[in-house]
Amino acid sequence: MPIIGSFCLLFALVLAAYCLVAGIVALASHSPAAGRLSESARRSGMAAFIAVAVSALALVYATLNNDFSLEYIRAHSNRTLPIPYKLAVLWSGQEGSMLFWALLLSAYGFVLRLRHKVDRRLVAYASVILAGIQTFFLIVVNFSANPFGLMDKVPPDGNGLNALLQYPQMVIHPPMLYLGYVGMSVPFAFGLAALIMKYPGEKWIHITRRWTMVAWLFLTVGIFLGANWAYYVLGWGGYWGWDPVENASLLPWITGTAFLHSVMMQEKRGMMKTWNMWLIFTTFFLSIFGTFLTRSGVISSVHSFALSSIGAWFMGDFGRLSYFPFFYAYPGFLEIAMAACVYFYVKNRSHLKAENTLESVVSRESSFMFNNLVLLASCFCVLCGTLFPVLSDWIRGDKITVGPPYFNAVNVPIGLFLIFLTGVGPLLAWRMTSLASVKRNFAFPAIFAILVALVLIVLGVRPWILGVGGPYLHWDYLPGWITRHLQSIAWIDSLSSFSLLAFTLGAFVVATIALEFYRGGRVLQGKLKTNLLAAMYHLTRRNSRRYGGYLVHFGVIIVLIGLAGRAFNQEKQQEIGLHDKVQIGHYELISQKYTEDHNDNFDSRAAILDVYKDGKFIETMYPAEVFYQPGQPNQQRDNKVAIHTTLMEDLYIRYDGFNSQTDRPIVTVFINPLVVWIWIGVIVMVLGTCVALAPNAAQLKSPVPLTVMVRGDQVQILGTAGAAK
Amino acid sequence: MKRATLVLLFCFSLGAAAQDNERYRDLGNKIQCSCGCNQILLQCNHVGCQSSDGMIRELRTALATYKDDEDVLNWFRHSYGMTVVVAPSTHGFELMIWVAPPLLVLSAFALVFFLIQRWRERAVPVMATGADPKMDDLRAKVREETEL
Repeated sequence: MPIIGSFCLLFALVLAAYCLVAGIVALASHSPAAGRLSESARRSGMAAFIAVAVSALALVYATLNNDFSLEYIRAHSNRTLPIPYKLAVLWSGQEGSMLFWALLLSAYGFVLRLRHKVDRRLVAYASVILAGIQTFFLIVVNFSANPFGLMDKVPPDGNGLNALLQYPQMVIHPPMLYLGYVGMSVPFAFGLAALIMKYPGEKWIHITRRWTMVAWLFLTVGIFLGANWAYYVLGWGGYWGWDPVENASLLPWITGTAFLHSVMMQEKRGMMKTWNMWLIFTTFFLSIFGTFLTRSGVISSVHSFALSSIGAWFMGDFGRLSYFPFFYAYPGFLEIAMAACVYFYVKNRSHLKAENTLESVVSRESSFMFNNLVLLASCFCVLCGTLFPVLSDWIRGDKITVGPPYFNAVNVPIGLFLIFLTGVGPLLAWRMTSLASVKRNFAFPAIFAILVALVLIVLGVRPWILGVGGPYLHWDYLPGWITRHLQSIAWIDSLSSFSLLAFTLGAFVVATIALEFYRGGRVLQGKLKTNLLAAMYHLTRRNSRRYGGYLVHFGVIIVLIGLAGRAFNQEKQQEIGLHDKVQIGHYELISQKYTEDHNDNFDSRAAILDVYKDGKFIETMYPAEVFYQPGQPNQQRDNKVAIHTTLMEDLYIRYDGFNSQTDRPIVTVFINPLVVWIWIGVIVMVLGTCVALAPNAAQLKSPVPLTVMVRGDQVQILGTAGAAK
Repeated sequence: MKRATLVLLFCFSLGAAAQDNERYRDLGNKIQCSCGCNQILLQCNHVGCQSSDGMIRELRTALATYKDDEDVLNWFRHSYGMTVVVAPSTHGFELMIWVAPPLLVLSAFALVFFLIQRWRERAVPVMATGADPKMDDLRAKVREETEL
């Protein structure tokens, strides 16, 4: 199997390289044979997928058969590892995950080349660009991170899989994240192809829209599965720690989100062409950069693999040779890709000239523009915070820590402003919005939001009394008199203030979404002579992209509610002997027993706790600590937290083992309000994206005359009479 | 009079204690526990943690010794290394990371307003009369592409 795997990997590289070279020659040539050459390049690209797939299957087969002659399998698997986790071995180490990258990229390339009839010329260009990326990854897998390296002596058993990865979420999380990362290569390839060939019109945007949404969907699911895993597995009671690798996955997600919004400007009004092109380039660069961050070990992270030379393939290297007074520098893949993008942009930038300009600050276009700016500002802040330790190390020679205080302080206000724009955007008309229209459209959502805020205050969300979770912001960089004034209001920067604001803005957005569905539904209700709900359903079917998008926004608001609950977290750690009690909030925990269990793959020690809420028995919970490869030098400890979930809050219990000084068990108990809404919100986001991906149902032709405005050859709809109003 | 002075002194001491507590919370949230858990000092409360209790004591001592917050953080940087402070300083080189995001956002917004202003000066829209037969095709296309 190792020989088959190695051979297929090498063969895949040859096929991808042929696809690249033959594809370029075919596109540059005007001879009659160019068509046949292009077809052979396309087919070799598809064959490369089969070769990489066989190679990946060979590795999986070897893992399932405990072939410890392979160094990679010895390091990441063992005999007692359950079969589902043996499948996860493919992406659990550096070499395997690079092979997995190459596999997914080849799979995307296979589908793209299979669907070449959508536009043969454009797909031929995109295929060549994708082949370039494929060739790079296959070179890395073949020559720097080959998972088929053999051991000198075959050991009887392997080291086993990292304990933290032995969870169902972890079987799904990396593939989802990789599908997202790798998927961004496809819109990048189409974008660059459109730029190179000066592709007329916006068809490439239509072609890539679904690709981008699919990649964005996978990235979203991957990020939140990671958060879910951190919450259920790591045992620290949180779900997002602003770890560099978490940030690396967030960066392309943010720019991808900005791209999905700003392409609408290009489609509807022929604007922001350069911006969109660079957004999709940046999204791709950030995907590659994320892979570099995870693989290179340049920044310390719980996710990072060991420091390796693989980073130089991505980012290049520079330095000084030991025995010669010469400096050397060579570019990595990222620099080469950037140089290619800059070259073609400079060469063909006239093709990206906007057809229209912004006419008013109060318009749908400007709300998209601001949305993009805010998203990019957030991206910049996250990138800045992630790289600042490296920058500080380069400039001053000392590596500082940039942790959650910075990321929260900067991103929470930006995020809240973004939520505000999410509500405002749909209420504004394209081109410009009159003051009367603003008043009419904003009245209901604003009143609803204020009512929600008042109700919450009545129910007890009163930051000036609670003041919990702060001080949260860092005002120090503001002028002294502002800082003094703001700090005199003790609650203003507490987490509970932000929570109240988040709930209020969330209500505002929900009201705008409801209003959009209601207004559209009313129009169709009259036309179809049906009830409002059925009309809303038809409305969504007829413009699945727009109303699917609103559902995604609704999902985001639900996630926001879950995040805002963090302000009211409670935590208590206590030693708890037999029949002792822990009191936290409304809950009382009584220790009933401590137990041990032995298993082929692990040993475990658990506490058995009876949980009461307001004196009423709820359930018995079993937080545990687990030891993988027990008694061996490579023994790994892990927590199995016990969680009682309700819509209002999670009771989260971690068993911390015995206190070595007192020999008594310790438990840490958290009350985490509203966390379950984060996971519910993600499901709504996924459903919304699926709706947006669905093709529109047949459209209803409007017999009503339209009022249009003409400027040059441009036609703009000013309004529709009768039914459309 | 004596009672009034006592009340005033009591209020003053309460205010000072509240201010100290505020400083303690603020700075305690900017320092990382050195036990290796990567948690904020005031959030790292493992029973038996070898580091957090000692560090919290040191924080209280440093608060009493130094009046300037930056001096307290510098003391921790000096004792535990640069990585112990999780929030970058608001002075010198590290100020850049705090200032750059708001500056960037404000600059971007200013640029948008400026561009809109410039574009508006250029654009002179012409109203369609609705009677031009050449526009019929375009109008039909608009109707076709408008779903309602």
